[in-house]
Amino acid sequence: MTSITELMTHDHRACDEVFATIETAVAKGDWDKAGAALTAFGEALEAHLSAEETTIFPRFESASGMVDGPTRMMRMEHTEMRRGLDNMRDALERKDADDLSGEAETLLILMQQHNMKEENILYPMCDNHLSGEMATLGPKITSQLKASGA
Amino acid sequence: MNMAAGNALGYEAAPAFSAPLRFFLTAPLFGVLAGVLLLVMPELLESRWTPGALALTHLVTVGFMLTVMLGAMFQILPVVAGAPIPATTVVATIVHLLMSAGAVALVWGLGAPAPDVLVIAVWLLGAGCAVFFVAAAIALLRVPITQATPRDMRFALIGLGIAILLGLTLAMIIARGLALPLVPLLKLHVGWAWLGGVGMLLGATAWIVVPMFQITPPYPAALTRYWAFATFTTLLIWSATVMYELTSIEFVIVIALVALAGAFIGNTLALQRRSRKSIPDITQRAFQLGLGSLIAGLICILVSYHSDSPLWPVLSGVLILHGGFISVMLGMLYKIVPFLAWLHLTQAGVRAPNMKKLQPDAPVRKQLIAHAITLAALIVATLGVSAWAGRIAGMLMTIEFAWLLNNMINVIRAYRRAGSA
Ligand code: HEM
Repeated sequence: MTSITELMTHDHRACDEVFATIETAVAKGDWDKAGAALTAFGEALEAHLSAEETTIFPRFESASGMVDGPTRMMRMEHTEMRRGLDNMRDALERKDADDLSGEAETLLILMQQHNMKEENILYPMCDNHLSGEMATLGPKITSQLKASGA
Repeated sequence: MNMAAGNALGYEAAPAFSAPLRFFLTAPLFGVLAGVLLLVMPELLESRWTPGALALTHLVTVGFMLTVMLGAMFQILPVVAGAPIPATTVVATIVHLLMSAGAVALVWGLGAPAPDVLVIAVWLLGAGCAVFFVAAAIALLRVPITQATPRDMRFALIGLGIAILLGLTLAMIIARGLALPLVPLLKLHVGWAWLGGVGMLLGATAWIVVPMFQITPPYPAALTRYWAFATFTTLLIWSATVMYELTSIEFVIVIALVALAGAFIGNTLALQRRSRKSIPDITQRAFQLGLGSLIAGLICILVSYHSDSPLWPVLSGVLILHGGFISVMLGMLYKIVPFLAWLHLTQAGVRAPNMKKLQPDAPVRKQLIAHAITLAALIVATLGVSAWAGRIAGMLMTIEFAWLLNNMINVIRAYRRAGSA
C-alpha cells in the first residue's frame, strides 16, 4: 500500500518537472511553448493543491482533531502559491522575461520550502492518522492528481 | 508524530527575520577583517604554524563560516526537521553576542598570542555553543526522525560539537598548558571540523536542497541512507588511529574518508548535470566552484601525507575553506536572504516584489566573480611567488566580503522600502 508521503512526494517531483519546462521555453524565447508549459503547470499544481484541500486535509483534520494546526498554515501557503502563479501568467502575457524569471524563482522557493514541510512533517503525520483508510483514500487521491494529466 | 512537530508549521514558529539575519550580516565583517589581516601581513600564507595564520584561519572558519551556519540553523531546523528552536529570538540574540565576541577573542588570543584572551574566548565560545546546542537538542528531541535529512542534521550537529570541543581543548592546552597531546588533538580538530561538522551539514542540506531547488533526480538512496553514518563511524575509527599513532593504518582510513567525501561531491556534480533547469543559476555556479575546489583540496591533503613541503596543508586549507565551503555558503546566502525578505513581507500582508526585484542578479554575479578571482589570487599567493601576491589576495578578499555585505544590505533596504510603501 503506497503511503500519502510517497504518493504526494512523487507528485511534487512531477510538478517540478513541468515547472522546469516553462523556464526552458522562456530562455529560448519561445513564448507559445512557454504559455503551454505554464498552462500545464497550472493544471498540475491546481490538481495537487485541491487533492490536499478537498481530500487529505479534511480527513487529517477530523482524524487528528487538529483543525487550526499545520493544515491552516499549508492552506495559507497555497493561497500564496496561487498568487505567484497569477503573477507568472501576468508576466507571460506581457512577454516580460525578466519579470517572469523573478516570479518563477520566487514561486520555486516558496513551493519547495512548502514541499519540504509537507514531506518531512505533515505527510508523515497524515500517514500516522490515516494509514487505516488508505484502501479507499489512495485511489481517490490518485484520481484527483491524474485529473491534470501530469 | 506529536503536536510539537505540527506546531512547527505555524506562523508563530517561524523565526523573526532578525534571528538568522544578525548572523548573516555579521559574518562578512569577519571576512573583511581576514582580508585586511592578509593585506597587512601577506607572509601568513607561508606556513600554517604561525600565530597569524591561526588567527586568519579562525577569522574565516569561526568568524565567517560558523556564524553563517548558526544563523542558517535557526531557519533550517523548523523547515526541514519540524524542530523550531525554543524562544528563537532570545536564543539567537544570546548565541550571536557570545559567539561574535568569542570569535574576536579567539582570533586575538591566537594571533597576538595572548593566553589570557584565549581563555576568555574559551568561556565566550563555550557558553555560546552550549546555549545553541542545548536549544537545538531540545528542538530535535521533540520530533521523531522520519527522513534522511533530519537524521543527518543530527549527525552533523554532533560532529560540529565534537570539533568545537576539540578546539576549546586546544585553546586550553596553548593558554594554560593543559597536559594533553597537542598534535594529535589538532589533527582531530581539523578533521572533525571539516568533514564531521561542515561537510556533513553540507551533505544533510544537499539531500534536499539540490533535488528540490535545482530540479534534479534524487540522490541514490544508498547515499542518503548510509553516507552520514558511514562518515561519522569512519571519523571515529580515524580518531582512534590518530590517538594511538597507528600511522600506516591512519593513511588507509584517510583514503576512505577522502573517498566518502568524493562520493558525495561526485554524486552532487552528476545530479547537477541532469538538472532540468536549462540555465544554471548563480547558486548552481557557486556550487560547482565549491565542489571543484573541494576535490582539489582533498587531493592536496593526500599529497601532504607524502610531502614535507609546507605548501600542501596551506593550499588544502585555501581550497577547502575559501574555494569550497565559502563558495557554497555564498550560493545559499543569495537564495536565503532575499527569500526571507520576501516571505516576511508577504506574511506582514504586503504585496512583496519578487525575489529578483529585491536582489537583482547583476551585483550578485559580479560579487561571485570577485570571489573566484580572490580564490585564484590566494592560490597564487600560497605558491609563494612574492609578498605582493599575498597583499593583492588580501585586498581582493577585503573587497569580496565588503561587496557581499553591501549586496545583503541592499536586499534589506529594498525590503524596508517595500514594507513602508
Ligand atoms: C569555536 C571553536 C573553535 C576553537 C576554540 C578553535 C581553536 C583552535 C585552536 C586553539 C587551534 C590551534 C592549535 C595550535 O596552536 O596548534 C585551532 C586550529 C585549527 N582550527 Fe580551530 N577552533 C574552533 C573552530 C574551528 C572551526 C569551525 C574550524 C573549521 C571549519 C577550525 C579549523 C581549524 C584549523 C584548520 C586549524 C589548524 C590551523 C593550522 O593548521 O594552521 N576551527 N583551532
